[in-house]
Amino acid sequence: MTIKKTQTTCCYCGAGCQLLFTSDVEANKILDVHPVQGRTNDDKACLKGWFGWDFLNDPQILTKRLRVPLIRRGGKGSPLEPASWEEAIKFVADNLTQIKEKWGPDSIMGAASARGPGNEPNYLMQKFMRAGVGTNNIDHCARICHAASVAGSRQTIGEGAMSLSIPEIEDAEVIFNIGYNAAASHPIVARRIVKASEKGAFIICADPRVTETARISNLHLQLKGGTNLALTNSLAYVIINEGLLDKGFIQDHAKDYEAYRDIVLEYPPEKIGPICGLDPDDIKLAARRYAGSSRSVILWGMGVTQFSQGVEVVKSLCSLALLTGNFGRLSTGTGPVRGQNNVQGTCDMGVLPDVYPGYQSVTDPEARAKFAKAWKVKSLPSEVGLQLTRVPEKVVHEKDPAKRIHAYYIFGEDPAQSDPDLAELRETLKAIDFVVVQDIFFNKTAQYADAILPATSWGEHEGVYTSSDRGFQRIRKVLEPLGDVKDDSDIICLVSTAMGYPMKYQNSEEIWNEMIDLCPKFTGATYEKIERQGSVQWPCYDKGPEDKGTMFLHKDGQFATPDGRGIFKTSHYHPPTEVENSEYPLTLCTVREVGHYSARTMTGNCRALRNLEDEPGWVEMTPSDCQALGVASGELVKVTSKRGSIITRCQETDRVKPGAVYMTYQWWVGACNELTISSLDPASRTPEYKYCAARVEKIKDQKWAEAEIARVYADLRLAMGVDPKEARS
Amino acid sequence: MNSYVRSNPKRCIGCRTCLISCVVAHSDKSFFELDPDGYAFNPRLFMAKTTLVTTPVHCRHCENPACKASCLSKAISVVDNRVLVDAKKCIGCKNCVAACPFGAMEIVDTGRSAPDGLPIKVALKCDLCEGVADSPACVKVCLTEALELVTEGDLKNDLAAKRRAAAVAAQA
Repeated sequence: MTIKKTQTTCCYCGAGCQLLFTSDVEANKILDVHPVQGRTNDDKACLKGWFGWDFLNDPQILTKRLRVPLIRRGGKGSPLEPASWEEAIKFVADNLTQIKEKWGPDSIMGAASARGPGNEPNYLMQKFMRAGVGTNNIDHCARICHAASVAGSRQTIGEGAMSLSIPEIEDAEVIFNIGYNAAASHPIVARRIVKASEKGAFIICADPRVTETARISNLHLQLKGGTNLALTNSLAYVIINEGLLDKGFIQDHAKDYEAYRDIVLEYPPEKIGPICGLDPDDIKLAARRYAGSSRSVILWGMGVTQFSQGVEVVKSLCSLALLTGNFGRLSTGTGPVRGQNNVQGTCDMGVLPDVYPGYQSVTDPEARAKFAKAWKVKSLPSEVGLQLTRVPEKVVHEKDPAKRIHAYYIFGEDPAQSDPDLAELRETLKAIDFVVVQDIFFNKTAQYADAILPATSWGEHEGVYTSSDRGFQRIRKVLEPLGDVKDDSDIICLVSTAMGYPMKYQNSEEIWNEMIDLCPKFTGATYEKIERQGSVQWPCYDKGPEDKGTMFLHKDGQFATPDGRGIFKTSHYHPPTEVENSEYPLTLCTVREVGHYSARTMTGNCRALRNLEDEPGWVEMTPSDCQALGVASGELVKVTSKRGSIITRCQETDRVKPGAVYMTYQWWVGACNELTISSLDPASRTPEYKYCAARVEKIKDQKWAEAEIARVYADLRLAMGVDPKEARS
Repeated sequence: MNSYVRSNPKRCIGCRTCLISCVVAHSDKSFFELDPDGYAFNPRLFMAKTTLVTTPVHCRHCENPACKASCLSKAISVVDNRVLVDAKKCIGCKNCVAACPFGAMEIVDTGRSAPDGLPIKVALKCDLCEGVADSPACVKVCLTEALELVTEGDLKNDLAAKRRAAAVAAQA
């Protein structure tokens, strides 16, 4: 037996933990996994790191690994049939080419992956879409999570990433944690918050629920969902009104203060307290504590961004940090903590409709000329492309066929599970002429695919991920892939070449080298440096060893805006789009399950994680709401919104407020996105997952409901191609 | 004195990595090779959450165990500073479940059947990973270091430190 030890970066969440795998080379089997020393994780990992690699064994619990290309030879409605790579690539390329010739390049949409593939295939995907197809219609799931953070931060401080690093959190004096449940999203970041608390930090937690951070906080602002902007504006009011602002910092490093002040001065705590459901004195205390330290940190997550005013709240949070001079030093700044393992990287790689790799604008003629030259094309499209949340609008709601999306190339995403208003999304996928799915598992979206291209998984390929705090870290191959699968980069190159735009690379490093030379902020981060340091945080401009990267941004108050000044911005608060009413008296908010991840194809196929939590998931309700409906914890209940209805299990908890219910978004049977609303933030086009109106109903016949859940789950597994038990053993 | 695993709720984030590690450590063969539809998942510790507290609940390995006193089949004994259940002797009478003041004892389905076809259900509790790991698996995996194994020596040291601190405080 040949034993191999391989260190790699965890494939879950943006914390970027380092894991050491021990494997048996001949048997191609993992023997042991444990966390090792890394920049962000020390030597710790959460349950997903310790036990979440089991999907590599393909135990076929929820779905099944894709092992061979599948195509619908007879067109829509015909069965998915196995094909050779040669045939599958030709099938995809011919169909995409025909659509491009008939309807133009902007009729094709690409969605790339913030998960397993890594930075290199994502760089190639946007290059293929821009230079090969000729459109900026390329996006990824940041759109449905932190796009608001990228947009809001870039407009105020010039850089759309965490300004500080994860390890710095533990040395903060004040943490203002808003709409962020670290214990469920990033346990390894929660660990830093716990450490900060032990070191004496004052923790302010603004959250409608009693999260773990709220529980250990010094001040819990248990605000009403959807009132973030009223709160953040009111905090600014107190800071200005009580003279707690950093005048010197504002004068030297910021601008547009007056317009900002004029807005926030309309938000005195006495007026805002009732709107947020908070004691005005608590708002004042929070403002005084936040402004009272030069090591104040703001952390936020989906509870800020997944609202129709997400971008406005992000701008307002960045402005609070500007107002108090909390930027550019150790353990201070702003922290939008990124959800997926490589969602920061996928943004870095320009898998966004408005920027090239390294955040260079597609509307900037100089950047366009630079990339056109490097990619050896005459010109590149100058119009900003389509955001993926607008695909339904451009398919089922677009009357003019010439303006519709006719082809959708979906690489490592599952919109039929993760996007809002799933009924509308399914209608959209059915209506699109040609859908390509490139993935590791058969998933809900794959059911609508005309071609399925099977890829290698994390653990089966080499590359680089970017952690949430801008850290480039290596991923390494642990196992040999089984079946007729290919590396994502190779697949994209084959499709592109077959469409007349040849691309070919020897390995991931060759792709990486092409990318960093086009992106000044990443140029210094060579594979060699990443290997040597373990992690390189951008910006890293110079390839020489002395440029080790950047731990925190905006040093000396120098912002990444054109004139180096931070820009104050905020807006007036307005309530969410769909508010509760007599028919739908409860507010529904979607949240996260700690042991599960994204669309759940990976964690749902891990034995232990499945045991901890499984279908149909839970709806959290306060005891008084449970009593009013006559339902008890563990009982199956029906949850309905204007858009759909699902069955899930009631979880009684006094950690939530009356009138507000919460569902985790990972479930397929109890899929909360059947209920959520597709209203979008006008600036970031991020959906309002955190607020819609719903009602919960008691189910009298529990036996029937249990059987129904079991039947739907079994049907889903069959639809995913999971072999019946007899065939597996 | 018996050892036990102590939890610090100020550090616990409720992630339940400890619960899984318990099952994986106690799996007869590699947990990751089990038939996915054919095994029992029975952690020997439990997560308790209220608005004020989040903490795993473990057996305290009491010095005068109420579970042992209540056991009809003499399946519970104190061995090497641990309170252990002998599953072979357990008849599933549930006296121990009622007697334990912490809720640390549970009757679980082992997933196996007796010759008469009835499922085998027995009392299960923390054994401090006796014979399955060097130290309790839950302590090893806890990422916030909320869990620690407390031995008689640790407890004595803690007490000595507490007495010194109290003595100093009383003088101040």
